[in-house]
Amino acid sequence: MDDAFIRRTGGEDWIPYWEAARARELRFQRCGACRAWRFPPQPMCPHCRSLERTWERATGRGRLLSWVVVHPPVLPAWQARVPYAVVLVGCDEGVRTVGGLVGAGADDLRMDMPMAVDFAPSPDGDLVPHWRPA
Amino acid sequence: MTLRDQAAIVGIGQLPFSKNIGRPEEVTACEAAVLALADAGLRPEDVDGMCKWSIQPAPENRIARNLGIPNLGFFGEVGYGGGGGCGVVAHAAAAIAAGMARCVLIYRSRNRGSGGRPWAGTSREGQPAAQETNEAQLFAPYGFVRPVDQVALFTRRFLHERGYTTRHLGWIAVSTRKHAVNNPMAMMRTPITLDDHASSRLISDPLRLLDNCLETDGAAALVVVHKDLARDCRQKPAWIRAASQGTGPHNVTMNNFFHEPLLESPGAHAARALWRMADAAPADVDVAQLYDAFTPLVLASLEEYGFCAPGEAGDFVADGGLEVGGRLPNNTSGGSLSEAYVHGVNLIVEGVRQIRGASCNQVPDAKLCLVTSGNMVPTSALLLRGD
Repeated sequence: MDDAFIRRTGGEDWIPYWEAARARELRFQRCGACRAWRFPPQPMCPHCRSLERTWERATGRGRLLSWVVVHPPVLPAWQARVPYAVVLVGCDEGVRTVGGLVGAGADDLRMDMPMAVDFAPSPDGDLVPHWRPA
Repeated sequence: MTLRDQAAIVGIGQLPFSKNIGRPEEVTACEAAVLALADAGLRPEDVDGMCKWSIQPAPENRIARNLGIPNLGFFGEVGYGGGGGCGVVAHAAAAIAAGMARCVLIYRSRNRGSGGRPWAGTSREGQPAAQETNEAQLFAPYGFVRPVDQVALFTRRFLHERGYTTRHLGWIAVSTRKHAVNNPMAMMRTPITLDDHASSRLISDPLRLLDNCLETDGAAALVVVHKDLARDCRQKPAWIRAASQGTGPHNVTMNNFFHEPLLESPGAHAARALWRMADAAPADVDVAQLYDAFTPLVLASLEEYGFCAPGEAGDFVADGGLEVGGRLPNNTSGGSLSEAYVHGVNLIVEGVRQIRGASCNQVPDAKLCLVTSGNMVPTSALLLRGD
């Protein structure tokens, strides 16, 4: 993964998230002490203030909390994809995440519908977590 | 002791808004500062403090040496772009109340009309500034980087849970434009209808073009002074009745989707602190300038600042509730949607004009004006009072 990609995805804390995705796995950060899940990743557990942390595999299941459909103007890398949907998912682990939509159009989406993780390439070519109706 | 009624805004200065002002932010900040000091009847030599937005391109010492200000005994800044505006005034008032300064100059100049877009990496404000105002890079692999996308993701859930519709958003756009029509300084002065809003092109569904603020080159300055100086100034003081800031828990700048409850913005926290300090209630407010980078932010602020219960803001805005003569005249200069978008400094300027009785959409005998800042990021609020 090159520096530019890391920089624009939140820095060092995020590397395990994107690396897991390349292996088609959804992983979230988890506190090594009190075991609370957390996302977005950060160095310290806000519950017990431990700096011990692991990345553990999530069920990849969740509920659709919201979505948007992006229309122009967009960055050059996205011009060929518009309009495209981006979803907010509340995961079984109690964390939320944002991702792309696959396997359905925005018209098929219903609030609170069950969702499952999938993996599709970003414009960089790397697999990143996406979501499809379960 | 609090900062309540310890300081007042006595000077305002604002340059004409445009898409391309044709000179750098350092120059326009100085021009606005000169106007604001003249408005107050003060000289640059009277200034002993400065406060600014942290992403403001021209630092204090450069402005001070341009203006010939001999010394600054207080200088400070507030981050988070549009969330910071009222906070800058709050810090000035706090410094004055604490004895660090007597006369604080506040300035905001921003060439956002001609200077590129932060989310596209084309802003002259640079990458650190872009990241401070928006942690957009977190979801860049999904093409999810624009403020409008982030607000739209909040909005769809908000409309769903509250039972609001995009027509309610339309009312906000229409009401705000109506005020801009009477404002010679406003960038957009052609009246719009609900149909114009509903047929404007989608930018990030459910948000349309007319839900978005403008892209502006603009500059404004404010002069805040100690209460003992305020009465000697040329203008009627706009007393700082109360000021507050708030982040709420687990805030991620612009991507504010990871806290509980999901739909509660930092504005709810700033609101509680504001009313507590003011010893006032929403029902006391005569006029408001609610931060409107996007229409749904106004709907959320109406709830969070206590003007209506969750779910009741839609009826509140329908049929002109935000217009002069309505329940809460709001953004009486045309706001960020129709006057100009300069991180909300123009909303503060308009709040002062309302207290002076000098607005182009004057609310008769306005004594109390609420001004808020961007509520998808760490935010702030201000309550201005007339004598």
